[in-house]
Amino acid sequence: MKPIEITLTVNETTHTLITLPNRTLLDILREDLGLTGAKNGCESGECGACTVLMNGAAVNACLVLAGQADGCTVETIEGLSKSGQLHPIQQAFVDAGAVQCGFCIPGMVMASKALLDHNPQPQEEDIRQALAGNICRCTGYTKIIQAVQMAAEELRHD
Amino acid sequence: MTDTPLHLGKSYPRRDALEKVTGQAQYVADTDLPNLTHGRIVRSPHLHARILRIETAEALAVPGVIAVLTHADIPGAKIYGDLLPDRPVLASDKVRFMGEPVAIVVAKTRQAADEAHKRVQVTYEPLPAVIDPFAAAQPDAPQVHENGNVLSHFTVCHGDTAQGLAQADLILEETFHVPRVYPAYLETEASQAVLNPNGTLTVWVSSQKPFHDRHHIAAAVNLPEEQVQVCVAAIGGAFGGKEDANMPVLAGLAAYCTRGAVRLVNSREESMLAHPKRHSGQLHYRLGAKQDGTITAVEITTHLDTGAYASYGPAVGQLLTEVAAGPYRIPHVRSETFVVYTNAPIAGAMRGFGAPQANFAIESLVDTLAHRLGLDPLEVRRRNIWRPGDFNFTRVRVNQAESTSLALETAAQEVARLKALPASPGKKAGVGMAMALQTMGLGWGVPDDSTNRLEWQPDGQVLLRIGAPDLGQGLNIAAAQITAEALGVDLSQVEVAPINTLLSPDGGVTCASRMTYMVGNSSMLAAVRLIDMLKEEGARLLGVQPDQLEYRGGQLLRLDQPHLPPIPAAEITSRLAEEGRALHSTATFSFPYGPEIPTDLGIGMPHVLFCLGAQVMRVEVDSELGSVEVTHATAVHDVGRVINRAALEGQVEGGLAMGMGFALSEDMILKANGQWVDGLAEYVLPTAMDIPGEVKIILLEQPESSGPYGAKGIGEAVTAPTAAAVANAVFAATGVRVHAAPIRPEMLIRPA
Repeated sequence: MKPIEITLTVNETTHTLITLPNRTLLDILREDLGLTGAKNGCESGECGACTVLMNGAAVNACLVLAGQADGCTVETIEGLSKSGQLHPIQQAFVDAGAVQCGFCIPGMVMASKALLDHNPQPQEEDIRQALAGNICRCTGYTKIIQAVQMAAEELRHD
Repeated sequence: MTDTPLHLGKSYPRRDALEKVTGQAQYVADTDLPNLTHGRIVRSPHLHARILRIETAEALAVPGVIAVLTHADIPGAKIYGDLLPDRPVLASDKVRFMGEPVAIVVAKTRQAADEAHKRVQVTYEPLPAVIDPFAAAQPDAPQVHENGNVLSHFTVCHGDTAQGLAQADLILEETFHVPRVYPAYLETEASQAVLNPNGTLTVWVSSQKPFHDRHHIAAAVNLPEEQVQVCVAAIGGAFGGKEDANMPVLAGLAAYCTRGAVRLVNSREESMLAHPKRHSGQLHYRLGAKQDGTITAVEITTHLDTGAYASYGPAVGQLLTEVAAGPYRIPHVRSETFVVYTNAPIAGAMRGFGAPQANFAIESLVDTLAHRLGLDPLEVRRRNIWRPGDFNFTRVRVNQAESTSLALETAAQEVARLKALPASPGKKAGVGMAMALQTMGLGWGVPDDSTNRLEWQPDGQVLLRIGAPDLGQGLNIAAAQITAEALGVDLSQVEVAPINTLLSPDGGVTCASRMTYMVGNSSMLAAVRLIDMLKEEGARLLGVQPDQLEYRGGQLLRLDQPHLPPIPAAEITSRLAEEGRALHSTATFSFPYGPEIPTDLGIGMPHVLFCLGAQVMRVEVDSELGSVEVTHATAVHDVGRVINRAALEGQVEGGLAMGMGFALSEDMILKANGQWVDGLAEYVLPTAMDIPGEVKIILLEQPESSGPYGAKGIGEAVTAPTAAAVANAVFAATGVRVHAAPIRPEMLIRPA
């Protein structure tokens, strides 16, 4: 297998990397860039713990091959809070008590961001659908859904 | 202490929420050690087979491979187990389940380890396998171990069931099947270890029981326990499934043998195949009752599939035996349980520890009884439920019997409210309920202690060291609130230390709904001591008698000179620090068992505290598709006293969702192709789409007299009754009584 060169912008920093083409965006984020916020929960797109935004859309980073990420803009949980200030979605997850073990949370927050970026006034059903690919085993989702509603409210007032 | 609580009942955000929402929390696989290498486990592809040969040469030839370890490389104990040492660290002569570890490859990169693990050539001779516990208990079944497949057999008799059944107007005989439930924590099992230059071993774990892990790791590598340090990383969920030392032991072994740093992370498939499940099995009931609904007798025979190794199977079987007759006063009870080895995945501890299975069966059966007698299910429960002063059939007095009827009557109002709602077009609606019966604590005869250490630091902060980990459920914030309450200080003054076996006291296992109760009690004891010590040291340093000082809210008041300003604790502790001393106290709380505990039962561990409640579900069933939607859920639980309301609600909401998975979708089965369901595409977990539109939580606060500020456990009771409540609602909607969970659409579609 021949390595390939890819260039991608992650959290506003551009990186050029040489990588084997069978590696995933998740591998690159976690192993090459040290961004371990996106989690590996299944390596097959079934749990959503690795959700990041690629060109503004929520993707499972474990399903994106290195070559597919070439030229893309990626946003991860690490890029969300600016200058020590939590993003309103992050703050809402804390305030709503939506965080238990936390392993799903980076993915949940990024999936929520993708939703609110495109639909600032989601109905509860919209939120459930947007998060349907993100498994949480601890919370039963109730407080996560509330957190997204709180964040939407807060973002509208910003 | 003031009458108005400072901190109890408040929904403080948990301390680790900030690092979790920013992605900074360090789970095992998030921390890179210097010169980290990667392990990959070679696992059995067979349910049952003899190992004829293990060839490692080809794997060792893969570039980057450092070692391939087999059972022969284990310097110390090759077998481990918490209740029974029956589990090989790495299989030697035989594999007994698909996914059993046979060898471990260590390589410089993850890719090299992945490649090499496929090149370890193991020659197997397949053996006949058995995966049904009832079949496995028969004498002619394939033998999983040498001494027969029945690992444990318990019988508890109370009264004379033959006589009780003879008095009955109606006898029901029903068999229920319960699924193999995978805990499905989002973080798969992971561990990493390093052999330090001085020969000691440091192991990072995602585990419910770091001190047990230390014991098993030390035994496997033949080091004294004090030379093994176990550190608990952030834990991505556990639910009982992380009471298995396999990954900590294998990581420790790999680091020890390669004299390096090794990371071991399971794939989802490995996690599903090789780590403990909730016991599947069958429960057979014969229940007799009078025409008016009074239950006269019940005989229960349960077969639990404990898989290939014991894990906590015997203890699960005991607990199930105790709760199988439900929260009912039944004069004649016989409860018999077989815990049976099979070649299925190992079953062990999982949230509920036998209670969810029992709750599903007995609560479905009580509903059936009501239907057969033409009575209201609520009325049948009212007639039979525990009353104050009652003893259960293990002859333990039920101290919380009032909660049972309180929960029932609260649930009855919810049943009435939800029954009034009209069904959606094309759907059949039904409301069902079930009582929750869960025990708390490890049970009589099992050492059940919690030790806490409090350190009042020179800067005024109080450091709380507890010895059993927060798995995500919120133990640390509850413990901090109780400690701050007991000391009368601001919550921000109490910090909870990470767990490290060198520094933390041994707190046992995070399990059995015991943590808030145990840790809370030991915090309160340690706080009282700390206050006494602060007064003593304060008196010495100020040159007064201790009784001239009064402690209030983190400060000492001079009773002899009340006009002087209060002295903050930090002033005393910083002066002690100048003397090279520290102010700290340690206290151990032991689970209380009264002298009246029966010790002559067929089981050794009656539990004496109960978590009681009831759940009500409203479902809508699509009769063409057979699909079930839970539209409303009400959970009524007696929690003794709320410590952190948001965390408690989170336990209820999460437990309910887990119960819904048990009810409607989760079962790890062996497929027709001979492979287990081993991924989340086929093992269907509840998603945000499946959660009822209304989840209502009603918390009863009947103080538990032995609990910290009256609190008791909640983590498991919330899952136990859900499946029966759903099944009862489905019956109300469709008239179809299911005898198995999960309820599959084909069970609800009547043949045309």
